Amino acid sequence: MNDEQIRTLVQTVVDGETDAAVKTAEEFVHANGDIDLALKKLTEEMKGVGDRFEQLEIFLPEMMASADAMKAIMKIFLPKLKESTGVDASKGRIVIGTVAGDQHEIGKDIVSVMLEIFGFTVYNIGTDVDPLEFIKRADEVGADGIAMSSLMTTTMAGQREVIEIMKEKGVRDKYFAIVGGAPVTPEWAEEIGADGYSDTAFGAVKLVARLVEERRTK
Amino acid sequence: MATPPYRMWDVVERASTGPFCEQQEFLTKILVPKLKEVIEKYGIKYDSHSPIPTQDSLADRVWEAAVELFRDVGIYNQDTHRRITFSDKEILEALSCTAGEYNVGIGKDSKILQHRGVEDRTPPFVIFSPDIIFDEEDFLTACIAYLKEPLLDGFCAPILEESMGMRIQSGTPIELAGSLEHAMSLREAARLVGRPGVFLVAVGTSQSDASQISVSDPEWGVRTTDSRLIGSITELMTNNSMMNKVVHCQQYGCYVANLTGALYGGYAGGAEGTAVLETAYHLNGLMVYQSHYQMNFPYHLKYFSNTTRELLWVVSVYSQAVARHSKLVNVSNGFANAGPGTEMLFFEAAAHSIASTVSGANLWEIAPARNKNKNRATPLEARLAAEVGHAVARSGMTREEANEVVNKLLGKYEDKIADAPLGKEFKECYDARKGIPTEDYVALYESAKEEIAKIGIDFPY
Ligand code: B12
Repeated sequence: MNDEQIRTLVQTVVDGETDAAVKTAEEFVHANGDIDLALKKLTEEMKGVGDRFEQLEIFLPEMMASADAMKAIMKIFLPKLKESTGVDASKGRIVIGTVAGDQHEIGKDIVSVMLEIFGFTVYNIGTDVDPLEFIKRADEVGADGIAMSSLMTTTMAGQREVIEIMKEKGVRDKYFAIVGGAPVTPEWAEEIGADGYSDTAFGAVKLVARLVEERRTK
Repeated sequence: MATPPYRMWDVVERASTGPFCEQQEFLTKILVPKLKEVIEKYGIKYDSHSPIPTQDSLADRVWEAAVELFRDVGIYNQDTHRRITFSDKEILEALSCTAGEYNVGIGKDSKILQHRGVEDRTPPFVIFSPDIIFDEEDFLTACIAYLKEPLLDGFCAPILEESMGMRIQSGTPIELAGSLEHAMSLREAARLVGRPGVFLVAVGTSQSDASQISVSDPEWGVRTTDSRLIGSITELMTNNSMMNKVVHCQQYGCYVANLTGALYGGYAGGAEGTAVLETAYHLNGLMVYQSHYQMNFPYHLKYFSNTTRELLWVVSVYSQAVARHSKLVNVSNGFANAGPGTEMLFFEAAAHSIASTVSGANLWEIAPARNKNKNRATPLEARLAAEVGHAVARSGMTREEANEVVNKLLGKYEDKIADAPLGKEFKECYDARKGIPTEDYVALYESAKEEIAKIGIDFPY
């Protein structure tokens, strides 16, 4: 029973059928199913969804549908998890946006969905975001990290500015700060003192996973 | 000839009275499902064997799907969180008021930019553009090198990231400085090569509405016989900064193009959705941006190019749809994987030019090296694309023939796309002071052109 429900759950989430996934998740909780096991399986399969998008075997709408279904069942599982293990299973909270002056949106949105697919809670605050706004939002939501996208050499300075303000406000160590977007390079990331850089959405996930892990074990 | 701005103030007002929704809801709950629905309803299917499809019925269905999508979804304004929508009747009204033909540029340099049909024998109007940032010190000489090209009908300069040695930062007075420098140097270059009235598309260095507006000047800046690009936000979205530019351009009186790239792999999904969206954007251009022509660069999510097999299909299909069902002027912008100084770039340029020209588009050539590598563009690959376009039109090439040639070209570069060579920078390929290509580079161009001729392009020279 447990196995079969998990299979259905995984399938509905992968297929992005939120209603069906929620129904199965509710039944699963009701029947006292093994949530840890279900989450383990789900995480494995969701990696497959991310991989398939990376290869463009599926496209953004399909990946988003899976992410939505995943978010919906996490809402059902999370309270239960806290009860059973006492740990917050949420893998980490990220505030993401495109820096001031820059209206390029889609790359940042893809990173955002990819992070959700892998179980992170993401606050996508849009484009042309004022530097201070990144920090205020991170504070509001108790974020682990701030992710900044910039598609133009003329707006990259906005990434530095966020990090500088973090220092001014004495919160540089409170959140990690990562950067990306077409003109961003590892050298730039290092120059401005960012905690990491990636040129793909998949790489962004790996980077965030590592940084969250480091924070948790500190 | 003139196309009247389509009920401009009413449209602007709709941005604050139209139906409200949040952006994510617009994209995922309104746009994506409707797009899937029309692809299904009109039976649109990508065929990898035919990068240049030959059935009129496919183009016709894509057009119908695009009109229905645009009518039901509209354009989302990110600032007002409202949709600007139109009725069928309004769409027909706007389409029937399109002139389809414009006198651009001025004096002896003036030309006609016009609608083309599928398999049209009229040569495409060719706008040359590097589409990339250049070092400030090379800006003027690069412009001169481009403007020397005989087949150039219009020109869009490189982009500046520094002005008078200062680093441009978006939204600051230095962005304004860069925009002014861009406009002035461009005009200067046009005068120096003896084409003072040439049609210019400017200025790419302006990112904000304020700096775009600051360069309108009949003496030293963007004239009313020139054109501006106003971007659509991916997908089917706009914002007030873009709308400010729209209103300014109408009031100033210059030409406008809607700059649009539907993203293959993104909200558009596959080739089918990308083609339908790119077609639908023409209606955004016509009715929301009050544009005179449409500048199209559908592109690939992973490679940032449109010379892959799927994207050439997209280019051909949306172009045929627009050509067969409207008088709208379509300018097709090439995005290549390889950089300058490589044989591959010439083959990609040829493939993009053939797919566009035979399907009814004009040309905007060409952004090399995935459109993100500084100084990596030269006039020579654009020249080749222009020559191919002229040859295709003048020889009366059919879609069948074009399909065969494009398949052969794809055979030459398709397997290299993922690891395409970055090539060289402008100054490595050109004697920058004279604005002419180096001997080696010319030899490479000649040999690539010969190969392209061998597989079926009939160059007059
Ligand atoms: C599409 C596009 C547009 C669209 C944007 C639509 C939208 N809202 O998204 C429109 C038409 C509106 C547009 C407008 C402009 N654009 Co534009 N645009 C592009 C283009 C062609 C592709 C960008 C894109 O969507 N890529 C697809 C996504 C999937 O890739 P990505 O964003 O790089 O994201 C991936 C990675 O970088 C990474 N990533 C992204 N963000 C983050 C963040 C983190 C934290 C991490 C870890 C990773 C990460 O993961 C993503 C997924 O793999 C680029 C060229 C290019 N090659 O990038 C030019 C480009 C960015 N644009 C450029 C310019 C000049 C402009 C304009 C100024 C043009 C004009 N004069 O109007 C305006 C600017 C308006 C403004 N104020 O922002 C220039 C910038 C030059 C410069 N100075 O650096 C570019 C480089 C083109 C060029 N070569 O000249 N543009």
